[in-house]
Amino acid sequence: MVEQFCDWLSRTSISVAFQSANWFVPLVQTIHIISIAILLTSVYVVSFRLIGLTRGAQPLAALTARSTPWVWTTLCVLLATGILLTITEPARELLNWVFRVKMLLVLALAAILLLVQTRTRRNPDYWSLSRTRRLAARAIGIVAVIIGAGIVTAGRWIAYV
Amino acid sequence: MALEQTLTRLQDSSLPTQIRESVWLFPTIETVHVFALVLVVGTIMTVDLRLLGLAGKERPFSQVASEMLPWTWVAFSVAALAGLLMFSSKALVYYADIPFRLKMLCLVLAGINMLLFHLLGTRHLAAWDRGRPPWHAKFAGGASLLLWTAIVAAGRWVGFTT
Repeated sequence: MVEQFCDWLSRTSISVAFQSANWFVPLVQTIHIISIAILLTSVYVVSFRLIGLTRGAQPLAALTARSTPWVWTTLCVLLATGILLTITEPARELLNWVFRVKMLLVLALAAILLLVQTRTRRNPDYWSLSRTRRLAARAIGIVAVIIGAGIVTAGRWIAYV
Repeated sequence: MALEQTLTRLQDSSLPTQIRESVWLFPTIETVHVFALVLVVGTIMTVDLRLLGLAGKERPFSQVASEMLPWTWVAFSVAALAGLLMFSSKALVYYADIPFRLKMLCLVLAGINMLLFHLLGTRHLAAWDRGRPPWHAKFAGGASLLLWTAIVAAGRWVGFTT
């Protein structure tokens, strides 16, 4: 099924056009990497604060609110550039188990970010109200840092598996 | 010729040979390089965007810079070390590669831009720390943004030519 789809996609005129322009993949990957840079930095700034590794001048709620538009904008750019790369080389992505793991990690990270953003928006003190909440904040921050590193790692290993 | 001899000796030494011959060492070092450079670029661009007045306008420039730049240096050290290890495994190939040379040139230019900004551009920082940066600070931010974009692009290009 997936193999047939890859086969069909790689023969569409749009895929052939992308494949034949040898500057296309490096250019799209460059945009993809710069978006990852902004996304991961935004995620880590909030995560480090949740963990308690950093103490900034601005409170967690302000930090989260400021990072929110950057997070979702870059995620959209990453999705768009990711789709372009997949159209160019469907089998390289869709038949690769590392790519599937990467997509699951992206979904998990998006869910975590949504959770942190909505809770913090409703109540700025949400993550410091009780001992349990503080522990939860710490755990969520650590998980987000690990997932972020996992996404970058999986992204690079798609090329090798 | 002396340089080529040095590079040959470098890539024939023990660790570079191991990296070249192993199946997993190069991709692993490369992953560390990408992870670190992503944080270098993200933290630097946060500061650049503040200089350009495109992000973090409600915070003083000095606050954004002092929160971001220590992480930039940690990440840069890791990226540089991993980069050096990758370079050592195929030193002659990288040395002759045009995108690689362009990347190194842009890195030097980004360094000079940063040095000039910190030595000269921040002399009257108190006057604009909370407001709109002067034209030369905007220029430094814009140049940094472009140079780091070029560094990422050239770096990605190296992967297709070596």
